[in-house]
Amino acid sequence: MGRQVLGEFEQIVLLSVVRLADAAFGRAIYEELARLSITQVTITAVYVTLSRLEKKDFVSVQLAAPASGGRRQKLFAITPSGLAALQRSREQLARFWAGVEVGGGRAGQ
Amino acid sequence: MSESRPPARSRALLARLLPAALRADVLADMDDTHSDLVARHGDTEANRWYRTQVRTSLRMALAARFDRFPGRVSGNRTFLRRGDDLMTGLVQDVRYALRAIRRDLGFFTFATMIIGLGVGASTAVFSIMSPLMLRPLPLEVPDRLAWIALNRTGGMSSVTSRTSNLRDFREMNRSFESMTGYDAFFDYNSYNFVGDGEPERLVGVGVARNFLEVLGVAPMHGRNFVEEESVWQGRPAAILTNAFWVRRFAADPAIVGTSISLNDTPTEVIGVLPASFDFSSTFTPGARIDFLLPFPIADETDRWGNTLSMIARLRVGVSIESAQADIDRMVEQLKEADPVRWGLGGAVTALQGQITGGFRSAMVVLAAAAGAVMLIACANLSNLLLARSVKRRKEFAVRSVLGAKRTRLVRQLLTESLLLALCGAAIGVGIAVAATRAVAATTAVSIPMLTAVSVDLSALTFTLAVAVGAGLLLGIVPALQISAGHEGAVINDTARGSSESRNSKRAREGLVVAEVALACVLLVCGGLLLRSFVAVLDVDLGFQPVGAMSWSIDTARSFESSEERVAFYNEVIARVSDVPGVDVVGLTDTLPLGRNREWGIWAEGVTYEEGQSPLAFPRMVGVGYLESMRIPLLRGRHFRADDTSETHNVVIINESAAARLWPGLDPIGQNALMTGEEPWQVIGVVADVHHQSLEEGSGLEMYLPIAQHGDWGTLDMVVRSSLPQAALVGPVRAALRSLDPSMPTTEYQTLDALVDRSVSPRRFILLLLSAFGGAALLLASLGIYAVLSYSVSQRAPEIGIRMALGESASQVQRRVVSRTMTLAGTGIALGGVGSFVVARLIRPLLYGVAPTDALTFAGMAVVLLLVSGLAGYMPARRASRTDPMTALRSV
Repeated sequence: MGRQVLGEFEQIVLLSVVRLADAAFGRAIYEELARLSITQVTITAVYVTLSRLEKKDFVSVQLAAPASGGRRQKLFAITPSGLAALQRSREQLARFWAGVEVGGGRAGQ
Repeated sequence: MSESRPPARSRALLARLLPAALRADVLADMDDTHSDLVARHGDTEANRWYRTQVRTSLRMALAARFDRFPGRVSGNRTFLRRGDDLMTGLVQDVRYALRAIRRDLGFFTFATMIIGLGVGASTAVFSIMSPLMLRPLPLEVPDRLAWIALNRTGGMSSVTSRTSNLRDFREMNRSFESMTGYDAFFDYNSYNFVGDGEPERLVGVGVARNFLEVLGVAPMHGRNFVEEESVWQGRPAAILTNAFWVRRFAADPAIVGTSISLNDTPTEVIGVLPASFDFSSTFTPGARIDFLLPFPIADETDRWGNTLSMIARLRVGVSIESAQADIDRMVEQLKEADPVRWGLGGAVTALQGQITGGFRSAMVVLAAAAGAVMLIACANLSNLLLARSVKRRKEFAVRSVLGAKRTRLVRQLLTESLLLALCGAAIGVGIAVAATRAVAATTAVSIPMLTAVSVDLSALTFTLAVAVGAGLLLGIVPALQISAGHEGAVINDTARGSSESRNSKRAREGLVVAEVALACVLLVCGGLLLRSFVAVLDVDLGFQPVGAMSWSIDTARSFESSEERVAFYNEVIARVSDVPGVDVVGLTDTLPLGRNREWGIWAEGVTYEEGQSPLAFPRMVGVGYLESMRIPLLRGRHFRADDTSETHNVVIINESAAARLWPGLDPIGQNALMTGEEPWQVIGVVADVHHQSLEEGSGLEMYLPIAQHGDWGTLDMVVRSSLPQAALVGPVRAALRSLDPSMPTTEYQTLDALVDRSVSPRRFILLLLSAFGGAALLLASLGIYAVLSYSVSQRAPEIGIRMALGESASQVQRRVVSRTMTLAGTGIALGGVGSFVVARLIRPLLYGVAPTDALTFAGMAVVLLLVSGLAGYMPARRASRTDPMTALRSV
């Protein structure tokens, strides 16, 4: 648990949960990801990932109804250990990016 | 919120693959998003999005389902684990296989055809066998139904029972829930049906009142017979068969409750049978049945003698053996009570066995033949795959060096061969469907349950099993060969001439020898059956079928006396004889090769031991019958017009009867006795006629004039003429109608057709077997060709060297051909031994030829050698045309 780093998709899912705060319902998370992600995202993938993150205790789930009304849905929130994991992943990435120049849009030049 | 729904199939697919915990949420969100998209962008966009989502999610959904290690995530592994590996592997294998196929489309097409042939044959045979042997009869709880014959063997009259037997058994038995029967001699009567349209002669079967109940069949419309209809001279009623109802009344349910005219008697149609119950297909294959009528179990019908085929339903828990013991007990008791009572007895067998038993051996033979064809196809294909896999050695060696495990390579090859097998199976199913349609539609073959033949779920399951089995079988040998190692040598092209190619050569040649051996067995058995068939056709029938036709005639007219009736039919003969081109006309109540009854006949003044009295097949005939059939008269004279009811009773008997009744004496002038007091004087002896079937002997026969013996119903008219059928039919029909316009005139056939129908089951089996034999021969020769061809191309350098060193083209050819002959010869030798064994097993199907018939064995050996020689010739020619320089350059 302590030294785990998140996979790429797990990271952006967790980040979306953070970004959406109180409105982090499954569908909203998907739409956020779809909006910002370069690659295609599926709702299934979102839920599968959220399920794993939950099992690892990085997110918590509760049932709530959205502000706009409608059926009760799962509302996700990041846990402290989830935040810590995000932090670790960010630091890890930063370490590897340090001193790397990727300019002009063409790698290796 | 729009009404539009997401694409149902995609949704269902996703729903199936998602793990249960996530299903509700994912589907709900997908539905919501879909609705939004419909509102914003329309149905098409929304559906496209939905489908893309599903398609892209499939792998992940499946992987999530198989996810067994929820807690273990390492940093650089993605969250797709074991499940995905399996999936990726399979998908990859299929993609790889498809690419391999595309590269070699010709081979693939060829190979699928071969498999298609094998699978088609197997599935077709399975489908034919299924209703006969594998499926239970289409009746209720069929394994508790029993058939009760009078005796175990004998002619029709020896296996049918009196109605008093049924009556008494019903009362006294302890083993049967219910007992019933039908009139086995139903075709001695016919019913003129005059509706709108042509008058028709219908065939009806008399059944006991509870017949349908016992079988568990309920009428589709209407009801079963009631008591008032089932007593002697009860109210006329009929239950129509489904086929007749559809044909003549256009499946109109309103016919139930109306009255139709049968033999000028208004008869109420009280019901229609369901299509699932085909009386004729089950009990009387080859005979068309139009309706059921009540057969009273009464003293009056008891006097008719042995008439019933008895069927009974066993009580739960009662076995056939205990039922038999029960019957024996009842027979004992009845005999004690009335010692002079005749016709007591009962032999119990299972109904299914009774109906299908006669064809068991033929079906088994067909199944074995289909199996052999399948094996040959597999062997052939295995060979081709082996040859092809050798070409791909390099490809697989590279993969192996790059880290692919052996199991992976084997799996790859198995996937390819499975794919091949499944495609072939699809073709095979097509072939089988066509074949079974043809079989089910044929009514010319007297094999029971043929109309129920179809490619159904069980057949498809069978096909799938066969295909998968074939795929694995085919794939395993090349797969193991190819992944056997020696990568370095293979990649460096130094592998030629190594031991592995010798092994593979031995494997391929071994397969070819096996193919030839199997083909030999198939051909020998086919040949034996062919000779049997020819022998059967060659049998001296005792009559001349060529140039004669028969008409089923009957009139609804009522006559005041039997003399009037006879005069009417004599007039029929006269009118038809007047038709230009007609040579002779005769009448009989039973044509040969049909069903018949047996009567006791005794020589006057001779006493016979208990159970030893002779039984003969009686025929009521008009003047001219024997002449019209060209049954040779050996002694005495024919019937004449002056043999009437006023004059002395006369009878004509056949040779066998003469020998049996008056051995060593001249029977002419002797008196014969039958039931009744008057003697019948023998005035003529004719040659034996095969009346039951071509294969069986004729037994005792006697011919009685219709003018003198009244026990006949419908008659068949035999017309001998040199005119072709087309020219004869019209005038004869006109002549008949001129005498009685309501007489049905459309039931005619040539006597040739009659004989044909009698041998139809044998011919049917033979046809199928020949098809298999032909396929086997084709496949085996293709196998030989392929192996030799490959061998020649492999050995091109060697051949080149030899030719460069002086060997001539013809010497090269001879070498190849001799190799072919060695292979073929070995195969034939092995096949000969195999045939020897197998032929013994098909002995019951043979007629007039021994299972060890040397001519057949030798003939088939010659055929195989010739075909093999031909198959080997082309590669041989190619070898002899090798240009030594080109061949040497490729070393």
